Amino acid sequence: MVALARARLHVSPPGRLPLRPGHVAGARAMATWLPGMATYGLVVGVAAGKADVPALAGWLTGPLVYSGGAQVAAVGLFDAGAAGVVVVATVLAINARLLVYSAASGARWRNTPRWWRALACYLLVDPSFAVGADGYARADAAGGDARAMAEAHDHYLGAAVVLCFTWLLASGIGVLTADALPAGLELAFVVPLFLLGETQRRVTDHVALRAVLVTVAVAVVGRALPLHLGVLTAIAAGLTVAALSLPPTPTTEDRT
Amino acid sequence: MTVWLTLLVAGAASYSFRLVPAVLVDRVGALARVERISAYAVPVTFAAVAADAVAARATVSTAGALDAVAPLAAAGVALVAARRTGSSLAAIAAGMPVLWVLAWGAGR
Repeated sequence: MVALARARLHVSPPGRLPLRPGHVAGARAMATWLPGMATYGLVVGVAAGKADVPALAGWLTGPLVYSGGAQVAAVGLFDAGAAGVVVVATVLAINARLLVYSAASGARWRNTPRWWRALACYLLVDPSFAVGADGYARADAAGGDARAMAEAHDHYLGAAVVLCFTWLLASGIGVLTADALPAGLELAFVVPLFLLGETQRRVTDHVALRAVLVTVAVAVVGRALPLHLGVLTAIAAGLTVAALSLPPTPTTEDRT
Repeated sequence: MTVWLTLLVAGAASYSFRLVPAVLVDRVGALARVERISAYAVPVTFAAVAADAVAARATVSTAGALDAVAPLAAAGVALVAARRTGSSLAAIAAGMPVLWVLAWGAGR
């Protein structure tokens, strides 16, 4: 209980958020993501700037929706004159993967203050989840005590805040310079390439390999489904394969 | 629905997707097996998003077979680069030129 209370105090200073080593470490860990994400943010901003919607509305998809794929889809649908219900449904279908991230992170974020969880949830997106998961894995390896977990929380927040700031800045620049970037560069493609690299790095056992292969197959076939439901279906299929492939009790072959 | 109202609804709903499962897990408690499976959430989700994007680029190609193959070749080269270097930035550095060259060769 004392350790828990200390962890709470460590995470929740009253009224302000001082910069701690964990925040800096998280920001540094996010640095490898930033070139790709800044480019992607720029491309999303350009798409918003060129669409037939108010520039401010295009940029506001960043702070409000905060998910590149969903933002691009929303801007494209606005541009095509789609009904609001269709835009919302599409955004939610693309963002459905956030349900998985949130459920996985929620187990880690027990015993954190409400304001911290509210902020952490807002910042939850693919890169922040990945960098955060690395931090929590290190905390587990270090024994998973209250101090290690508090540092992992700082690691997540440091990474997520830097990403959010970079994303909003890059997309803002994209909106303002929409006509200057040649479409032929296909810069949006840096994101799937980067995600492939991150996936490759994280396939460290047979369970992950099996799950990823099934995921890719379902994602490709699932493109025929409406509202981008193929992605969600593929994630569900991959996690199901992982669940069925795991041994009943943890072994040394399991991921930590 | 106006653009502004649609944005607000989409934003609020997206935030609820981020918040609600975390709150539920906190209140109800996660099963150990679910926690173990969640370790695979990152590679599985990234693979789904990447595969969807690569397939989308391949299927919307309007400049012939070479242009359709370009994203697949770029993805393959990116995977090899990432595997050899352990760096995801190397995946971009190796994959994008392949995409550009093949798309340019297809006359895109």
